[in-house]
Amino acid sequence: MSAPAVHHPVYTGDDGTLLDVAEAIATEWAALGVRGSFLARNIDTGARLGFDADEPTPLASVVKVPLALVVLDRIASGELDPAHPVTVDPAGSSVGPTGLAAFRYPATVAVGDLLLQMLSVSDNAAADALLDLVPVPEVDARLRAWGCDGVRVRHRMNHLYECAAGAAGNDFSLALELAVRDERTGRHTIETLDPARANAGSAAALVRLLERVWRDEIAVPAATAELRRLMGHQVFTQRLASELRADTLRWSGKTGTFLHLRHEIGVVEADSGHRVAMAALTRADRRAGLAPDIDLAIGVAGREAFEVLRR
Amino acid sequence: MDLLAHLEAYAATADEASFSRAADRLGIAQPLLSRRIKTLEEHFGGLLFDRSRRQIATTELGVQLLPYARDVLDRAQRLRQVARSARRSRAHAVGVPADCAPAALARALRAGTEHGVTLGMHELPPAERVSGLTDGSLACALVRAAPEQASLRLPLGLASAPGPGDADGGSSRRAVHLEELRPRRGRAAGPAGPPPLLLLTEDRVPCFEDRLARAAARAGLPGSRIRPAGPAATALAETLAGRALLVCPEPFARQHGAHWAPLADRSLHRGYDVRAAPGRNGTGDPPAWLAAQLASAVGAVPARGGGPEPGPGGEDLPARLAACG
Repeated sequence: MSAPAVHHPVYTGDDGTLLDVAEAIATEWAALGVRGSFLARNIDTGARLGFDADEPTPLASVVKVPLALVVLDRIASGELDPAHPVTVDPAGSSVGPTGLAAFRYPATVAVGDLLLQMLSVSDNAAADALLDLVPVPEVDARLRAWGCDGVRVRHRMNHLYECAAGAAGNDFSLALELAVRDERTGRHTIETLDPARANAGSAAALVRLLERVWRDEIAVPAATAELRRLMGHQVFTQRLASELRADTLRWSGKTGTFLHLRHEIGVVEADSGHRVAMAALTRADRRAGLAPDIDLAIGVAGREAFEVLRR
Repeated sequence: MDLLAHLEAYAATADEASFSRAADRLGIAQPLLSRRIKTLEEHFGGLLFDRSRRQIATTELGVQLLPYARDVLDRAQRLRQVARSARRSRAHAVGVPADCAPAALARALRAGTEHGVTLGMHELPPAERVSGLTDGSLACALVRAAPEQASLRLPLGLASAPGPGDADGGSSRRAVHLEELRPRRGRAAGPAGPPPLLLLTEDRVPCFEDRLARAAARAGLPGSRIRPAGPAATALAETLAGRALLVCPEPFARQHGAHWAPLADRSLHRGYDVRAAPGRNGTGDPPAWLAAQLASAVGAVPARGGGPEPGPGGEDLPARLAACG
């Protein structure tokens, strides 16, 4: 129960009101034992609020968004056929709790539907099947060519599982223990938790990416439109979406969950026309697999940010 | 030169008028006895025995020094006796946790007197009871151990503000599961938020704190819900005012009129072993009568076999280690 050194977040906010909201969010997160970064930005006015938005963080499944954009760009340019069938065999596919990763028998799915699987239910096997078609270095190079400097793709999805199982031998609580402990020392036993070696990104870079996707300022409009459509199909609603659920609001997002990491990025669009892109990247100091209070606190942050930024 | 051993040889030889009989009486070999006499003679600068005849005789010097030698031996003997009885009558310091039942401690003291041992009870925090055994300041102590390995077990529970049904003592004893302490969604929490769990000094032992932190995390409680209680009186006041839950054993809660319910997870209860300081004669086992008295002083019960196993239940699916959503 030794208290780690108090962290003082670096706040972002265009005026006092926005700074107050950013500070309230950081305080509430800290009370729950959550460290991390948050950034929300009105896509049309540019008004923003957040804290520690430039801190690079391992992305977990959030990386599936830039991956999808690169694949969709290939499809739009005709290099890849969305109807191309891919057979995913559980004997050699990636580990995961949902989608093809949880299948017990081989299945053949078209590239376009692998994208849907990957973004709707965060299917690790679908993501790695797409990385078979567009290898990791090419995804990373494409993102750099687009100027997405704050987002780095370095490994396949299954590498997360391999590193955790390699360090903890299939013992979930031990892996969690290592993750939480290493957060204090800064030396990561599980390689995929080290921002310098993992797929990593900052809240600022991810919000910038979402803004460009929603404003058609990256890749080609056919690719960005499809990415927006697919992100609207996500089934998980426990995080940023949790407090933004109304018929008048539309949430398009992607979560990322790995050991003590709980992330989500996405865009809320209101019937009123207001659009706010946001990214919440968190690391908990708690050895718990499920922490609905943390998910809810992330959701509350999203709603607070949206309501103050839509004005 | 071990003067006492040499004087003993001298006195015995004078008594027996024979080196061999003196050696027998002292239980040593005759050459060793002869050597001691010789060394002593060199030390005093003159012969103590006349060895020229068949029967040895004490010399004039030997006769002259003998009463003084006996005096030294007598005094040494008395010194040993006093030391022995002082050791027997010295109070045995016993390390016990804070908040033991005074009547039970009194019974332990009386039982000590019956067994010819003066006991002294010292209320100490858990770490000091262990270090006291090692540095010799305690003869015996109740030390904390994991409940599934300990010989004594004391259920821990949560003390809370007394409810309407508590006055008659017939309150429900339903066990508390940690996940029940999560705040309820959709219901306005009090202005102070969910009540913290306060830990008494007695429960601030690393192995217990770590176990509780892990169990609380798995039950969905943030680590900040668990806090040190500080002084017991203020912690009780907070508890009775309904602003905190105090982690404590039942007698402590009842004594102060608080409602109490046991923690359902028995691996979070207190375990105690009665341990004696590693004595000069080896064994570190405390007498059984003392162990029983100390157990009743803390309100512990002897552990039944097959105690609860700590740690998370359920199997680990590999998918939990992958990125999940």
